[in-house]
Amino acid sequence: MNVIRSRIAVIAALALLVVLAVTAAAQAGSRSPQKEGGTLTVGLTLGEPDALDPTLARTFSGREVFLTFCEKLYDLNAKAQIVPQLASALPTVSKDKLTVTIPLRKGIKFNDGTPFDAAAVVQTIQRDLTLTGSARASEISPIASEQAVGQYKVVIHLKTPYSPLTAQFADRAGMIMSPAQLNNLGAKFATNPVCVGPFTYQNRVAGDSITVVKSPYYYNKKNVHLDKIVFKVENDTAAAAAALKAGDLQALDGIDSTQLQGIKADNKLRIIKQTGLGYQGLTLNIGNKNGLLKGYSNVGTPIAANADLREAFEMAIDRKAMNKVVFGGTVLPGCTPISPSSAWYDSTVKCTPYNPTQAKKLVAASGISNPTVHLMVPTGTAALRQAQFMQSEEAAVGIKIVIDSTDFVTSLSKADAGTYDTFQIGWSGRVDPDGNIYQFVATTGSQNDSGYTNARLDLILNNARKASTVEARQTLYRAAQKIILNDRPLIYLYHPVTRAGLSTSLKGITMYPDTLLRVAFATFK
Amino acid sequence: MSAVDTVTLTTPRARRRILLRKRFLRRPMAVAGLVIVVGLVVVALFAPWIAPYSPGATDFNAILASPSSKHWLGTDFLGRDELSRLIWGARASMQAGFFATVVAMVIAVPIGLVAGYYRGWIDTVIARLTDVLLAFPFLILAVGLAAIFGPSLLNATLALGIGAAPALIRVSRGEALAQREEDYVPAAIANGASDATIIFRHILPNMSSTLLVQATLTIPAAIVGEAILSFLGLGVQPPTPSWGTMLQDAQSYLSQAPRLAVIPGLAIVAAALAFNVLGDGLRDIFDPRTTR
Amino acid sequence: MGGFLLRKVGAALVVLVIASMLVFAGVRAIPGDPAIALGAEDRDPALLAQIRHKYMLDRPLPVQYVHWVWLALHGDLGVDQRELPVAHTIVTRIPITLEIAVLSLVVSVIIGIPAGVIAAVRRGKPEDYLATTGALIGLSVPHFWLGLLFIIWFAVDLHWLPASGYVSMSHPIANIEHMIMPAIVLGTGFAAVLMRQMRSSMLSSLGADYVRTARAKGLSERSVIWRHAFRNSLITITTLLGLQLGALISGVVVTETIFGIAGFGRLTIDAVNQRDYTLIQGVVLVTAAGYVIVNLLVDILYSFLNPRIRVS
Repeated sequence: MNVIRSRIAVIAALALLVVLAVTAAAQAGSRSPQKEGGTLTVGLTLGEPDALDPTLARTFSGREVFLTFCEKLYDLNAKAQIVPQLASALPTVSKDKLTVTIPLRKGIKFNDGTPFDAAAVVQTIQRDLTLTGSARASEISPIASEQAVGQYKVVIHLKTPYSPLTAQFADRAGMIMSPAQLNNLGAKFATNPVCVGPFTYQNRVAGDSITVVKSPYYYNKKNVHLDKIVFKVENDTAAAAAALKAGDLQALDGIDSTQLQGIKADNKLRIIKQTGLGYQGLTLNIGNKNGLLKGYSNVGTPIAANADLREAFEMAIDRKAMNKVVFGGTVLPGCTPISPSSAWYDSTVKCTPYNPTQAKKLVAASGISNPTVHLMVPTGTAALRQAQFMQSEEAAVGIKIVIDSTDFVTSLSKADAGTYDTFQIGWSGRVDPDGNIYQFVATTGSQNDSGYTNARLDLILNNARKASTVEARQTLYRAAQKIILNDRPLIYLYHPVTRAGLSTSLKGITMYPDTLLRVAFATFK
Repeated sequence: MSAVDTVTLTTPRARRRILLRKRFLRRPMAVAGLVIVVGLVVVALFAPWIAPYSPGATDFNAILASPSSKHWLGTDFLGRDELSRLIWGARASMQAGFFATVVAMVIAVPIGLVAGYYRGWIDTVIARLTDVLLAFPFLILAVGLAAIFGPSLLNATLALGIGAAPALIRVSRGEALAQREEDYVPAAIANGASDATIIFRHILPNMSSTLLVQATLTIPAAIVGEAILSFLGLGVQPPTPSWGTMLQDAQSYLSQAPRLAVIPGLAIVAAALAFNVLGDGLRDIFDPRTTR
Repeated sequence: MGGFLLRKVGAALVVLVIASMLVFAGVRAIPGDPAIALGAEDRDPALLAQIRHKYMLDRPLPVQYVHWVWLALHGDLGVDQRELPVAHTIVTRIPITLEIAVLSLVVSVIIGIPAGVIAAVRRGKPEDYLATTGALIGLSVPHFWLGLLFIIWFAVDLHWLPASGYVSMSHPIANIEHMIMPAIVLGTGFAAVLMRQMRSSMLSSLGADYVRTARAKGLSERSVIWRHAFRNSLITITTLLGLQLGALISGVVVTETIFGIAGFGRLTIDAVNQRDYTLIQGVVLVTAAGYVIVNLLVDILYSFLNPRIRVS
């Protein structure tokens, strides 16, 4: 009886499978064809983009996709300077610095054919300020009001002077959305986003790909050569490299160091590289006992209680060897929060030298026998390789590292909660040094997971925010970095260098210091 | 049961044991499996004395080195001796294999026995639950458990044990159902034996050969399971070597040093194969109906 | 009959509700704050609070549950973290996973059944040893490792097949190229299980009375093997296939991960990694519903074939 019953179960299940498969085939048939002469397939290695809605978007890889179909009021150039894109010139600022006027390009159209004008800009800014969950609201929060003056001029009134505004309009806050589509979709804009851009959004397979096609309305259409760009989410570095070599991808926005050799050896591929503005390092839990921003209270672990032990910990790490062993010599070893690719890099800030002998002495002098340090590592092969390297380096000076491999989201939660010793994590970097320092080490910093507090550093960082001359700020950031390097709430290890792999048949692809791969104006030879 | 009965029962048992040994020795595959299994257990137990190097000893001047007289199987990305890590890795695999099976047995056998012995609604409920658990992909369960409790060899072993339990419940239930129909059960009941006595003193010993076979076949599944979980980062944590984590490390070097991915994989296959062959052999000798 | 149907449907609904509650509480037991996952690099507390508010994460669990059920009853599974409708995402992913599952079943049947028949018919001969040993190896090789080896050989070294990805069925050749390795990797494992089952089932069939009778009647050996023993063994095999569905799903998850295929399994894992609660709930609800519906259909079908069941 059971046999018969199971048989029927199987038959029913199989029948269901067949029906679903047939439906699937029917659906698949209606999809667009895959490969044409002018289709560029780009691999995204830094995770899947989140909502394709400029108001809500937060991920790095999302910015790379937006570059093809959502132009901004301003853009960066190769020297990381701000230049007009949808605006026709840089903004003019009133004497009291409270009124900003932005002139707009004339006669251009959104990708749904509707005209681009000042009213559209006003609607976008208003949405960025008010939509629930807007990631832009804090970026442009000093805006008090905005109005369209005529068809092609926007006047913005500020509550307080705010010089980063132009820089914000050179990122997602400056992406202007089609009012027609906003009125049509409202909060669901991400399901079919329409902006001004060389390409227009076509479709998205969640977790897999985003497809954009050439826009018939773009103002600079004659310089757009591709018919279509497909962005593929690549979760595995080895698989991504293999896909690039096989020609399934013609561009890959990041190559893992372990795959570099193979791609270099391939004469159908070339590599472009760019040192980013960010860093990778360790966050040491010193005073985060009760959770992020809940006040300083030393956690009492050996490494939190003993500054000499922290020094020994850093001395045990040979950054150059780490670069060679773990990353095949592909990163830029460093010990400061500011990357050498930044104009704010200060070479007078000296690193703690690699000195295992001295480190051993410090460990012995600390009086703690066999100090054990837990290292929280987000899951991932490269991160785990680095952790194992450090484990062996620290073992050599008598510090035992226990690796706590933790999935990424959990690791962030634990870092905020303060339930960790040390955390292997980095920061993608910002143009302004404040963006790489303040939020991590200032007592009230929004990502001060170390629970670190230093009144003198707070004063210096706040002054640096207000200081108007470059020299004054440089002096202040030098002093700030010296304090951080001495107290070690974070230990900086290296600056990533992004390498993109491109088919040699492609030209017109660039990468600026923001390390976004810019593919919109590419062409096949 | 009287003393006379015991004597008359013991003698055929001893005779059967000799017969089984004879049957077993006539199967070269099964004997080979047993030899490899014993070898693996010895290697796992005596890893510190067998391995030429410490499994964590790094040598940054010899990273990804090819096999040589110094490092028979070469070194990995931190310059660690691959052979030593392979030998130590046997520990994690054997531990996961044996203990996951023990966990599964401890959970499954009592439940299966109760279901098979009492039948009725208890049996129906248990059978239904087992069906549901069987339909539930065990890997998803293991991933969930690891996510909630944190990755470690212990949690991976527990997850594997729980994952293997439903199938064992089914087997032990079926066996208990069959044993219940044997003549000795009414005899024991007539002698005033309690349910517990019948289940544990009579039915359980009579099931032991089936359970032994099942255990031998569960171990390789658990060994492969441990490798999968460790490969996904949900099992053994570094620096403890395990064949699964060795594969995880090797995944980044598939084109530079494919040997690092091939060797631990072969070890897994060898271990699983040895247990499978042994299990098959045991089943054949206990149940001559299916023999060739 | 109506009462019977009502009872069955009722039981199915109870299972669904319990499953959805378990999942609802279960995903929230996994550590890691979805607001932080959504915030990406932005961890401004005000923004995180807004995100929690938007996804109702700041409300008590029962309130969240009732709200979700209410929308689900209206056919709205909500939007995921990408702001895309969950129902649409699921519908686009299921066919991909079904294709892998069906193709690997095909592979396993093509290899496993003939091998099992041959091994049984030629018992003790070299063919038998070959097939039996092959099956033992197939059982012992981890799929994910085989996948890695295939990628090394056929994609990296030989460039015969693409290493990863999925192409829709509207491009049949590219589609098959991408499916060959996953289907073989997954299919060979099941082929081993099938072969062993087929062999032992054929052996017992060939030894059974009715086969002996058939032989005695003077039927040709071919007819005995195919019309009697083989047919009978197929019943056992279909049962086995049903039992293996759960294992098949596990296998598909791993295979999709290795070959970078954005199927249903991958979707589930990504959703868990991103703490995308709405998506996880949708995925599990659909899976549970599928399971319940199939079982319900089976029960109903069976009751038609065997009316006694309805009474008991």
